[in-house]
Amino acid sequence: MMSWVLPSALAIGAVACVALVAVHFIARDRPVAEPLPTARFVPDRRIHARTTSFALTDLLLLVLRIAAVAAIGLGVAGPTIAGGRGRVARIVLVDRSRGVLSVAEARDSVRSMGAADVLIAFDSAARTLTTPRSLDSVEKTGAVGSLSAAFAAANAAAGSVASRADSIEVLLVSPATDEEVDAATPAIRAAWPGRVRLLRVHADTTSTPVGGGLELPRTSNDPVVAGLSLVPSGELQSSVRLVRGRLSAADTAWGREAGRVLVHWPASDSVADWPKRATIDAIGGVASGTGALVARLPRLWAVNGRAIARWADGEPAAVERAFGAGCVRDVAVLVDPASDVTLRAPFRDFARALLGPCGGTRAFGSADSVTLSRLAGTGPLAAARLFRVAASESSRFTPWLLLLGAGLLLAELGLRRTSKVAA
Amino acid sequence: MSEAASYGALLDAVRGVHWPARRAVSSLLPGAHHSTLRGTSAEFTEYRLYRQGDDPRRVDWRLLARSDRAYIRLANDRAVLPTTIVLDTSASMAFPVATRDKWRLAQELTIGLAAVAHADGDPVGVALHDARGKAMNLPPRTRRDVVAEIARVVLADQPGGSEPLAPLLRGLRSARLVVLSDLLGDEEDLLRAVRAHIVSGGEAHVAHVIAREELDPPRRTLLAADPEQGFVQRMLVESSRREYEERFAWWRDDVARRWRAAGASYTEVVTDEPAPRAVRRVAASGER
Repeated sequence: MMSWVLPSALAIGAVACVALVAVHFIARDRPVAEPLPTARFVPDRRIHARTTSFALTDLLLLVLRIAAVAAIGLGVAGPTIAGGRGRVARIVLVDRSRGVLSVAEARDSVRSMGAADVLIAFDSAARTLTTPRSLDSVEKTGAVGSLSAAFAAANAAAGSVASRADSIEVLLVSPATDEEVDAATPAIRAAWPGRVRLLRVHADTTSTPVGGGLELPRTSNDPVVAGLSLVPSGELQSSVRLVRGRLSAADTAWGREAGRVLVHWPASDSVADWPKRATIDAIGGVASGTGALVARLPRLWAVNGRAIARWADGEPAAVERAFGAGCVRDVAVLVDPASDVTLRAPFRDFARALLGPCGGTRAFGSADSVTLSRLAGTGPLAAARLFRVAASESSRFTPWLLLLGAGLLLAELGLRRTSKVAA
Repeated sequence: MSEAASYGALLDAVRGVHWPARRAVSSLLPGAHHSTLRGTSAEFTEYRLYRQGDDPRRVDWRLLARSDRAYIRLANDRAVLPTTIVLDTSASMAFPVATRDKWRLAQELTIGLAAVAHADGDPVGVALHDARGKAMNLPPRTRRDVVAEIARVVLADQPGGSEPLAPLLRGLRSARLVVLSDLLGDEEDLLRAVRAHIVSGGEAHVAHVIAREELDPPRRTLLAADPEQGFVQRMLVESSRREYEERFAWWRDDVARRWRAAGASYTEVVTDEPAPRAVRRVAASGER
């Protein structure tokens, strides 16, 4: 099947041919001189007389010109004979995020669908697997899945297979849970110009925490303890222990257990060994995923890890790090012992994120049907030509067509000169 | 159609037309025009007292017997006026291209004026360039078939080239010169030669032949080319037409004024005018 590298050149060439014909038949020339003995009395002014000639003269010249322009237009358009007529390339997106119950199930599903041209494994980020064998090395991660990242990777990979097929099919192997759909997902999905085949695997509902409790230190006059004690125990999804001093061996042993969250929130700068900031200052607020605390708070430490809360300027104020089967949260927010800010509702809202399960709140429920139908889409598969980069394609006919056009132009020049000499 | 048949009607039309000299002629041969000489013709004019040196044979002996004084009889002589018609055969006379009206009218004028001059008893000849551009001079003759000879020469010629007329005039001995031309060639030199001829006692007539199409060119865009000067090509459009007509009219007026100032008889002849009428106007232009 013949296709074109730059189809617009065909239209431009056709317009040029029509213009050539028009210019050929609408010729401007001097009228034929007629004898007038008194011509010397005619005012000697530069007057352009225009005449229109519709005579079929110099047809050979016209044919040569049109042939030259057509050859050049075809050469620029670049005819190509596609080898993969009717072929469908396949891009497979394999979910390996924490929401997947078993990556093995996903692998088996992919294998059952046959060979893939491009294999992409994704969680919060997407990575293209170089060989089909790489699929065996794909393991489940604890990261949140992101369908946005998956579709963006599919868009990027489409260009590499577009030249080998007419259509491209995207196969999404994922549980498609709520947490994998973010605000950008619909827009990024809409950028894919075709339907998507959605192959759902089971979500990891077994890892969803079902309840927990909060262990607070037995100290008096601690504003953080006082504030957290006001959090309703029913809101907790994990077992949480708050440590206001240095972490003890018993604390770390406790935190290694699955589903447990060890919150290390120093009461003073002397009970934490975190690296100090280059400049110790104060800032007007700190925010977590569940709320913001507006108060004048000192900043002493620079903590590293998955940010749970951030200062007003975006610097992490509380981070989470994996610790055994559980996790430890370092909260670098020093609260004035005399402050009553912790007794207010905004503090409790802020603290809910700190008391949540490891990895944040999980939403492994299936996305709603509307979202799923939008993900799948309707209509035909994506056309491969939409992903072809014109500049990267070339036609083996182009040099010959351009050469032919140049030859025809030379012939036209020679014929024109011959006609002038004969005249 | 024979040559005679082609101009026979013209000769019939100009029969009876006279072409008097514009002033007394100094020719010795007797003719129809007043002569500057006073001699012994039968037409008595006056008496004059005999002076020493007068021919005694011209003394009126009867008057001498009656009055005892010697008088001689004086009488005005009549003389012929040799006429040469100078015909312009340049390419500009072959206009319009399709009808050649200017050339046709010039031919008829030549034959007609020759016939009129011959009818007055004047020797008549013609000077022109032949089809090859060579000067040809048919000297003035009074013999009976001179008009036919002139007609044969003129009708056999074809206009073309751009040979000047002035050199033709220099070798002519005729007292009366008639120039039939459109004056679009060497008009200045021609006028200078005619002026010299008039100063030396001759008389000159010019019939300025103009085509109707020159006065009123076709009303369309026209790339006008001078047939004698091919490099002169100018675009005549409606907007420049008025200026063309004004310039051409001014030039014709100027030519007429200068030729008349030189002492020549000037007649403008347009191609749509019948040839016999034009002949009459040219012949009458010499009357005073």
